[in-house]
Amino acid sequence: MTWWSRFWGRNELERDLDLELQFHITARISALRNDGLNEDEARRQVRQEFGGIEQVKEQCRDARGTRWLESTMQDLRYSLRTLRKSPMFTVVAVLTLALGIGANIAIFSLVDAVILKYLPVERPGELVQLQYRTPDTSSESRTFANPVWEQVRDHEDVFAAAFAWSNKDQLYFTQGGMIRPANGLWVSGRFFSALGLNAAMGRLISDSDDRRGCPAVAVLSYGFWQDHFGGEKSVIGSTLSLRSRAFEVVGVAPRRFFGMEVGDKFDLAMPICAKAIFDTTKFQLDDRNFLWLNVGGRVHPKMSETQLKSQLRTISIGMFIPPDASPAERQYLSKMALTAIPAGSGTSRLRSQFSQPLQILMTVVGLVLLIACANLGSLALARTVTRGKEFAVRKALGASHTRLIRQLLTEYILVSSGGALLGALLARWSGALLVRMISTAQNSVFLDLSLDRRIIGFVLAGAGLTPLLFGLLPALHSTRVSLSSSMKGNQSSEAGRSLHFHVRRWIVGSQVALSLILLVVAGLLLRSFVKLVTLDIGFDRNNVLLVHTDLQAAKIPVDRQAATYEEIESRLSALPGVLSVGRSMITPISGDLGMNTTVRTEWTKPSTAQRDFGRWSDADKKFVVYQDWISPGYLPTLRMRLLAGRNFTRADIGSSRTVAIVNQTFARRFFPGLNPIGRAYSEGAAPVTSVEVVGLVEDSKYLSLREENLPTAFLPHEPSDLADRDTLELRTAIPPSRLIVPVLTAVAEVNRAIPLESHTLADQVNDSLVQERLLAVLSGFFGALALILAIIGLYGTFSYLVAQRQKEFGVRMALGAEPISILALVMRDVITVLCAGLAAGILISLATTRVLQQMLFGLTPRDATTMFLAASVLSAVALLAGYIPARRAMREDPMTTLRQQ
Amino acid sequence: MPDSSPKSDLPQGTLDLLILKVIAVQPVHGYAIAQRLQQISGEVVQVPGGSLYPALHRLENRGFVKSDWKETETGRDAKFYRLMHKGRSHLEAQTANWRRLAEAVGVILNLAEEGTR
Repeated sequence: MTWWSRFWGRNELERDLDLELQFHITARISALRNDGLNEDEARRQVRQEFGGIEQVKEQCRDARGTRWLESTMQDLRYSLRTLRKSPMFTVVAVLTLALGIGANIAIFSLVDAVILKYLPVERPGELVQLQYRTPDTSSESRTFANPVWEQVRDHEDVFAAAFAWSNKDQLYFTQGGMIRPANGLWVSGRFFSALGLNAAMGRLISDSDDRRGCPAVAVLSYGFWQDHFGGEKSVIGSTLSLRSRAFEVVGVAPRRFFGMEVGDKFDLAMPICAKAIFDTTKFQLDDRNFLWLNVGGRVHPKMSETQLKSQLRTISIGMFIPPDASPAERQYLSKMALTAIPAGSGTSRLRSQFSQPLQILMTVVGLVLLIACANLGSLALARTVTRGKEFAVRKALGASHTRLIRQLLTEYILVSSGGALLGALLARWSGALLVRMISTAQNSVFLDLSLDRRIIGFVLAGAGLTPLLFGLLPALHSTRVSLSSSMKGNQSSEAGRSLHFHVRRWIVGSQVALSLILLVVAGLLLRSFVKLVTLDIGFDRNNVLLVHTDLQAAKIPVDRQAATYEEIESRLSALPGVLSVGRSMITPISGDLGMNTTVRTEWTKPSTAQRDFGRWSDADKKFVVYQDWISPGYLPTLRMRLLAGRNFTRADIGSSRTVAIVNQTFARRFFPGLNPIGRAYSEGAAPVTSVEVVGLVEDSKYLSLREENLPTAFLPHEPSDLADRDTLELRTAIPPSRLIVPVLTAVAEVNRAIPLESHTLADQVNDSLVQERLLAVLSGFFGALALILAIIGLYGTFSYLVAQRQKEFGVRMALGAEPISILALVMRDVITVLCAGLAAGILISLATTRVLQQMLFGLTPRDATTMFLAASVLSAVALLAGYIPARRAMREDPMTTLRQQ
Repeated sequence: MPDSSPKSDLPQGTLDLLILKVIAVQPVHGYAIAQRLQQISGEVVQVPGGSLYPALHRLENRGFVKSDWKETETGRDAKFYRLMHKGRSHLEAQTANWRRLAEAVGVILNLAEEGTR
């Protein structure tokens, strides 16, 4: 019989064995009786000769070779029975682990999706992305102009396939008379083939689609096809109107492909050559200053890294130099060299944003799990002591230490597996919630959180390692059970007991330490977040609706701009619920880079600042000033306070004198100690403009909430080439979202072709705090969770310890000790443990919270107030948890106690 | 009957060899193997049940012998073991080894005797 059939047929084999041995014994007895012995003597002799029948059976069982599996099955059955018999322990353990492991799985899924996962393309390990470094900066740049990309493309030797793609391009398409936004992705001809993707329907963009002068074709993403076209086959060959141009739909991309950027998904893919269709004044495909393409390639499998590096260096030569470059430009540009970085997991702004927060969160949930394990460890230890008799009996029957330990670990593994499964379910449910938390009003995040090997491995590791974490010590302790004292009914020997007490105190002490660290971290992050949210940002963000317009898409000529905007503004101010309307090119905290220039005044050192290919040198940074072009309604709408001078009026628009309103920081830097009103400054270089200051406004945030106040100049809005995508700000008396539809209607009445996008200013500002919010909310939640777990652990342990010492207390009180002294005795114990834990926790916190530096605002990592608060909360809670059992102890009547023992 | 000559404890490999040899003669059940070994060796080799049956089961697991339940002459059911092909080759190989070893040991023992004379 094979090993497997021996295992399954073991019941039959047992019967077999029994019969066989019985036959032997009976035959021998008969033989002996024939020799003249009587029944009893014969039996006795046979027993002597044969040996113990059970032992023989055991040996035959060993010979079968299936023992280890059989004993594992035995352990499992026994463990299940034991767990069923103590439902309280099982339920508490499974729930605690579900929370602890579940939290870890949830955060790890995020880490996996954002940082670790490969793109769903063919052989992602072979993909690289190109980048280059400009000589005088230290950062790498990853966007290329089209002429440079075309040179890479034509170098077929370096890559098995080279491809290019653009960043997300906000497009508008018309469907059912409504203008809707869509995420566009411009790709090169070999993009899809290089990634090894096949169309879900129709065909994908191919090489022949990407030649100059190509027809306008588009490929839909799978999700877009389902959402907007109902998954109908008829969409192939139909026409899509994008920004008023017609594109033919030729196919649908595969289901799981969302683009190259993790966290975003594209709706439409179009060939790069088709971008020429949207050319207005410049030829975007030939413009070397228009950086919009990412370039990647699939490396030949046989090519080594050094080979790739040198190949790239070779082809870099001359690549960036336009034919009409000056010698100075030529020299500068010849120093640019290409390098490659792995691109198998795509690019991700999300990754750079959330790498650190996610690492912090993984540590936080790791600590929560440790605290949960500490609780379970205490619980398991207590149970081991209660079951002392059971272990004693088993040892007497011949169970080895290993066997006992193995069986206990099986119990814990069962509990952990249950907890891990439940935790995985919890993680799945909370996955959607987490993604929503990292989404912003403007950028909803799309993440593929589905199970993959890594997550499954993580779950298995959790189920396998946690039982060791909390169960090894109790399991080892079970073997120390003294046989004789257990049989007599004592819980355990004196030595065992004191060890047990010490161990439990250590466990509780470490729980206190871990909880303190967690509370400090949560406290720091929460307080930072609160500080950011309550920061005085210089304007009133509430009840302001932002409406982003795109006159260029509606093909409104420059000379009609001013009139169009005026009409829109007057219609909007007439809407019920609108208090005032403003207009500006840039809105605060928009995530854009903003507009800046350099400024000189008589009171600052003259600068010869020049924009050297897009980057300021450090010396010139002092003279950089940020700008915005606004309408007269802007400042009042945002409730920004004018401190001196006046606001713009309509007369300022289009006047020959250039005027500006500056903020306090500007005035301090460029007109130190003076009243800036009426004074002039020079702006820009070739041509230099002289600007007169007519107003002084208070400082407000421009790019981000964390910035030091930037010197800002506000200028009146002029119609120009750049001024066709303004944002309107509406201060509303009613919740802004209720005005979206009236606004859309009002603008449509002016010109139906103008696409709009709206969100509130409050949302825009809050969006910039998405990492801080995530950290604050989650660390607060897990901190509270850890605190609850710690309280339970503390209360449980001290209750137990007090109950164990009840006899001692009884004797003390009977001998005349005051009840208060009993209380003091217990509380002294509690306080010792608490202080030890707090000390350890504080030391570790001081050493490690430095890593949080970047995420904090207005606090240092070693902030004393936060630590003090955390320690106070924890102490209060711990003292209460210890006080309740202590009070019980001192209230016990000593006579009752002694009688019971 | 308890016997006066010293019993020898057999190492496991040797026991396997003897069992296989007995089975090779004809298919037999466990009790018969014990009996035969005792008889043939003149009461020198006595195998207690505790060694015999585990050895038999081990041999069966290794595929050297195969067991079937059959009726004995007395009409009772017993588990008979018969030798398989694999077992036969093993028996032949081990027998050859044993003979070689016994010869070598004998030569060495004889040598030592002469040296002390």
